Amino acid sequence: MIELRFHRDLYAGEDVDAAIKAFAAVARCEQEAADDAFVVRVEPLYPKHARRIVGELGNYALARTIERGGRR
Amino acid sequence: MTSDTPENVTVELSAGAVHLTIDAALYPLEAVYGASYIFVDRCYVFLGRPREGVIVATLQTKAAEPGEDALRALVGEFANELLSCAWRAQITAQNRAVIESVTSQALAGAMGPPSLDDLADFDFSDDGFEDPLGIAQSWEEKHGRAAPKAPAQAAAPADEPAAAGEEGEG
Repeated sequence: MIELRFHRDLYAGEDVDAAIKAFAAVARCEQEAADDAFVVRVEPLYPKHARRIVGELGNYALARTIERGGRR
Repeated sequence: MTSDTPENVTVELSAGAVHLTIDAALYPLEAVYGASYIFVDRCYVFLGRPREGVIVATLQTKAAEPGEDALRALVGEFANELLSCAWRAQITAQNRAVIESVTSQALAGAMGPPSLDDLADFDFSDDGFEDPLGIAQSWEEKHGRAAPKAPAQAAAPADEPAAAGEEGEG
């Protein structure tokens, strides 16, 4: 399990959700809402590619947040 | 990393990642977003906010085991891009009023000429106009010479001498 903390000031919650859905085929994710962050625990289904899966999931959430003009 | 590494850069060589601590007072969030977006296709970018006023950008190369030089180049280019984006954001903020003015004028022009209904509703009267400072007065009205007196009043007393003068000159 790899824990990612997407800070609420930097990431949009909708885009974190979208990233989890987009990567559902390659990673099992558990969500938890903390006060300051969206906490996502990622369990890649292909451990050999864990680094790539987690990295791309983070990129996906960040890029979508930026494309919408930042966190709202 | 070597001793000439800036204080705000930390490296995890084993993870192939480098962390850049960014002062949010110097670099607006838009600039951080801009630089991050440019690097998304080259590396994994993750943003964090450990405390108020500080943003940490974690850059992780897509290659599993990058060399130290690759990480140094990556963070250096990211810092340069960050500075560029911050500068662009500042220029945009400074020129915002001009851009909005030009845009609104362009949009107003694109709306075309006024319709007959618009003209019918337009108030052509001067009744509602107030000009307490006299801005709408012409220069002549404000500073020009006084209007000459009426010819009948001015000519009556000086009638005879003027006539005598004309005869003498001729």
